[in-house]
Amino acid sequence: MNLIFRLLPWLLPAALLGGCGAPPPAAAPGTVRIRWAHDPESLDPLVQPNQYATEATNLLYQSLLQIDYQAQQPAPALAETLPTTRPEGDSVLLVTYRLRPAARWDDGRPVLAADVAFTLRLLHCPTLPTEGARAQFGFIRALLPDPAHPADPCRFVLRCRGQAPEFALATGDFPILSEHALDPGHTLRRWPLAALADRPGTAPPDSALARVGRRYLAAVLANKLPGTGPYRLTQWQKDHRLTFERKARWWADSLRPRPAVLLARPHRLHYLVLPDDAAAALALRRHALDVYPQVPAPLFARLQAAGPAARLAAATAPSYDVLTAGFNTRRPALADAATRRALARLFDADGLRRATQAGLGLATVGLVSPVSRAFYNDSLRPVPFAPAEAAALLRRAGWQRPSAAAPWQRPATRANQPAQKLTLTLRYRAGETLFETTALQFRAAAQTLGIGVTLLPTEAGALTEALHRGDFDVYVRTLKGNPFVFNYAPILHSRAVGEGNFTGFGTPASDRLIEAVAAAGPATKAPLLRQFQALLQAEAPLVPLFFLPTRLVADRRLRGLAVSGVRPGYAATALYWPAAPAP
Amino acid sequence: MAQLIRPTAGCALAWGWFSVLIISALAAPWLPLPYPPGTPDLLHLAAPPSAAAAHWLGTDGQGLDVLTQLLFGARTALLLTLPVAAGATLLGAAIGATAGFWGNRGLRVPLPAALLGLAAAMWAAAVPWLLTGPVVLAAGLACWPRWYRRCPVPLDSLLTGTGTLLDAVPRLVLVTAAAGLGASGRALPLLLLFTTWPETARLVRAQMWRVRVQPFVEAAQAAGLPPLRVWLRHCLPHALIPLKSVFPLSVAGLLGLESTLSFLGIGLPPEVPSWGRMLNAAHSDLGAWWVFVPPFLALASTTLALAYIANKSKHSFNN
Amino acid sequence: MTGAGLGPLAARLLRAGAGVGLLVSVLFLLSRQQARTALLQAEAAGLSAAAHPTEAAEQQDIRRAQLHRLGLDEPLFYAQYVAAAPGQPAHWRWHGRRNQYHRWLRALAHGQLGTSLRSGRPVGELLRAALAVSVPLMGAAATAATLAALLLGQWLAGHPRRTAPLHLALVGLQSIPGFALALALLLLFANPDVFDWFPVDNLGVETVAGLPDGYAVATLGQFVLPVLALTLSALPGLALPLAAALRHELAAPYAVSARAKGNSLRQLLRRHALPNALLPLIAQLADLLPALVAGAAVVETVFGLPGTGRLLAHAAATHDYPVLVAGVLLVGTARLLALLLADAALLLTDPRLRWPS
Repeated sequence: MNLIFRLLPWLLPAALLGGCGAPPPAAAPGTVRIRWAHDPESLDPLVQPNQYATEATNLLYQSLLQIDYQAQQPAPALAETLPTTRPEGDSVLLVTYRLRPAARWDDGRPVLAADVAFTLRLLHCPTLPTEGARAQFGFIRALLPDPAHPADPCRFVLRCRGQAPEFALATGDFPILSEHALDPGHTLRRWPLAALADRPGTAPPDSALARVGRRYLAAVLANKLPGTGPYRLTQWQKDHRLTFERKARWWADSLRPRPAVLLARPHRLHYLVLPDDAAAALALRRHALDVYPQVPAPLFARLQAAGPAARLAAATAPSYDVLTAGFNTRRPALADAATRRALARLFDADGLRRATQAGLGLATVGLVSPVSRAFYNDSLRPVPFAPAEAAALLRRAGWQRPSAAAPWQRPATRANQPAQKLTLTLRYRAGETLFETTALQFRAAAQTLGIGVTLLPTEAGALTEALHRGDFDVYVRTLKGNPFVFNYAPILHSRAVGEGNFTGFGTPASDRLIEAVAAAGPATKAPLLRQFQALLQAEAPLVPLFFLPTRLVADRRLRGLAVSGVRPGYAATALYWPAAPAP
Repeated sequence: MAQLIRPTAGCALAWGWFSVLIISALAAPWLPLPYPPGTPDLLHLAAPPSAAAAHWLGTDGQGLDVLTQLLFGARTALLLTLPVAAGATLLGAAIGATAGFWGNRGLRVPLPAALLGLAAAMWAAAVPWLLTGPVVLAAGLACWPRWYRRCPVPLDSLLTGTGTLLDAVPRLVLVTAAAGLGASGRALPLLLLFTTWPETARLVRAQMWRVRVQPFVEAAQAAGLPPLRVWLRHCLPHALIPLKSVFPLSVAGLLGLESTLSFLGIGLPPEVPSWGRMLNAAHSDLGAWWVFVPPFLALASTTLALAYIANKSKHSFNN
Repeated sequence: MTGAGLGPLAARLLRAGAGVGLLVSVLFLLSRQQARTALLQAEAAGLSAAAHPTEAAEQQDIRRAQLHRLGLDEPLFYAQYVAAAPGQPAHWRWHGRRNQYHRWLRALAHGQLGTSLRSGRPVGELLRAALAVSVPLMGAAATAATLAALLLGQWLAGHPRRTAPLHLALVGLQSIPGFALALALLLLFANPDVFDWFPVDNLGVETVAGLPDGYAVATLGQFVLPVLALTLSALPGLALPLAAALRHELAAPYAVSARAKGNSLRQLLRRHALPNALLPLIAQLADLLPALVAGAAVVETVFGLPGTGRLLAHAAATHDYPVLVAGVLLVGTARLLALLLADAALLLTDPRLRWPS
């Protein structure tokens, strides 16, 4: 003990110095290191619990269609071309695909229509955690041979319930799994797809279904599920690091010309799970990291300033995520559009955007991004920040203020109810600076008018619960979007009240318009969407404040970095170092 | 006894700091501050200190004025954190001293009373009479002189057990669970009070173990003084000695905990400025030293001042 | 410990075991009540809005199927105080053995901790991988903090005048939140602009051949900063009370007389004062574990280490209850063992403390 006491003062500094001097690890040629903030948690291709899991899944498995980040639209991946669609009657859509004849599993077997059919059946295995995917792809009722080419095992037709134009692209969005690897005895083939989909949850367990389900789960847990993607997962230390190795021989290597979605340039991809932003920024500056996507605004400004000296390049693009405030229209005080329109004028959207996003991001009138020029309603004006105007609008909506100290009041709509008072609670996810700044700004603006606002920052799980229960007056959150799908039914249709439609909004006119937008073809979509934006601004159940930017910082020497507003914001497979050109 | 510092200078400083703190905390709403609390200045986000914008200490990442927050944060610290810390320390000390003095066998109550208490608790929980009845019956039987006895109350096991249960669950979990059960920012002081006492209790209990076997305590007991009086007059003053160095630490710990809770959304409402949250806000923008340094200095000075005052009071106690 | 001491110790062990059981059961029941929240949150994190079905009824069907698959639609406990139907008065209902708690207990008895709601992986595997990182980290920090506290405590008590600045620094250190300390170390010693001594770049941790996949061994340099951050955050809480207790002992009459007999200050401290002042330190040491787990959550997040603290914090934040319950079981057991050891150590250091029988 004595010795330790004497030595301790010397041991500590020695230990400190012992670790120093390690040179920053240089990137091996062909290796790209990317930062992730969280672990993907599960690499189950049919579940994909978060965006990192989706990103990883896209390296290992392939779908019929995949998103081309450069063009920001779906492009054929395992499919040879985009599908053709043909309506049948007035409630069925037939979607015809042809798989690429060159597409192969790792053991050299071709990818066939039977594999697609197997994957669709696997989705409905009752023991698998695929409830979400089941709902998403439940509209696909059958996979039939192509009547024009019945002998071609690469051609098939998907028979869909309903005729929404989105179906054409939605049918290509699930990863294709190998029937031979998971069900060599073809035991699932005896089930018609529709019969599996309609099988009630209370049905007795089926041994064949259970066996295939078990084999699938075991393969997923062992990370041994074969895929047609260009990479293999070679290492996964949970919460720490994932390593993907390029397959030495991949079927798409022989394709000429090479489509952008089938590029696979890096030989090795390291995804480093670094939850702390400061640590990630340091790693980037030490060049222990090559790509840092989704950089927070203050850090981005600092890295941008350090850019040239630190050999970093900063890039940004408008994203499809929109900061949104929503009103609980079930509350009597917020049931009328006039009051909601007045309150919308208390959000300083432009000031918030300039302050929190350093001027990046896009002001907007609705849920459609201004980047989608054809669909954005440019004849509307964004809701201005105008407290005085808001007060006037409130008076017009019937609100009055008996004295300077009293809250706004108006008589009840029904005789036996007490008079309505205008005091609000505002919920947002706790710990999120952007939401908190927005909430504080709204509260301060409301306070100048004499409207009391109680802020209720809520932990993520409790917030979802509270929003479902309708336990709020106003919320602030981001709505995720993309440039391909314009289906607002899950968040605004009256049938989604109690689930995704937290505002409780829904009039027959708005429901009709939302359904029309979802069902519209490319020709009629633009006018309908413009009409929808005008309706949304007039009714104001939601107030879209501004579209957030995507920010990314990367090593300056890295090439092929197409920053895009679609998550994850870049295509890892397209990256390369100039010294080692694309294979 | 060796002195930590010259008491005059150090304590003058400590009391000076405290008076500044108290005055600024009480007077904060009437001070001529250029910016009101809880109102973001969107034109100056994360701005360094500047006289031009009248942000004398700069603004944080949300555009809140650091000076305003510092002064109003002092108010929160004084009116909320200190009372909670004092309350938790008192509660912990009382529990620890009780558990340490009486142990598991020191306190005995009549068996019928214990059984009746149990029955009352069962009745309150709406347990069917089929189960509550026999307990009442047993209580009646226990009044019979042959079966009458006094059973020991395992105070030590009960109290330390409760503390250990509270302590073994990570506080994050405990508080998340509380939030799930409907506790909000308004219930924060109570939540803090009931989750932070075990540390103090354990310390005081360990010390009480030592004190209760000292000759003077045994002498007092032998003299036939009532146990409560021995506990209060003879044991407690000695058992509380380690608290004096721990109390300032527990204040600092509470301020830190409060910032963690704010982060979870169960802390103080965001419009209530607090030093803990200011420290937390520094996390989102590391270059903004002006956000971190003032609350840190305020917190450290307060903790130090508390340490000195505690030290001083110990001296006066010993003399 | 003598033979007479073994009985009480066994009883205490039994009580500690019952305590852990109670704790984990309460946590299990509390957490299972919020299973719906966990599912809702997982939904919110996963699919984008467009992928959700429109119909509220359809969405509720999906959730019912999920609850059924996970076995969460069964009654929670043997008996529950519930209403038969909404609106009716509540009363106690007996559910028998077909309940979630019973199933969980049986699985636990077979050594199965369940599977994570988020990742679908066995919880035991997740915990093992995290412990391989956390145990060395926390062990090193606890050892370093204890040794440093013993050293500093004596120094502070022996030379109060000379060490006043150190005392100040320790009190100041205590008031820095853990994340700030960890970040300060990171920004000072892993920064290409300041001192680029301890690269924290996450690549240094390698899987070593021979160990099962997932076991990571870090190079020494990678661990220095995390251990230092954890040690510094635990140090004041140990050193300051020890110094206070030592000062108290030095003022006691026996110390004054020992000093008068010509013992040096060092001898006095080491031989006489320290054994007496160890009691509060031992009580503090038992407190160290939760502080270390909480501190480790922050330190592991900042330095990107895949340890238990981070695992638990993330499980709490995402409502991944199986991981959370198992983690608390682990931490709670370790903590109760520590308390037990502390009690035993108290009895050993001060035989007067044994209870009169």
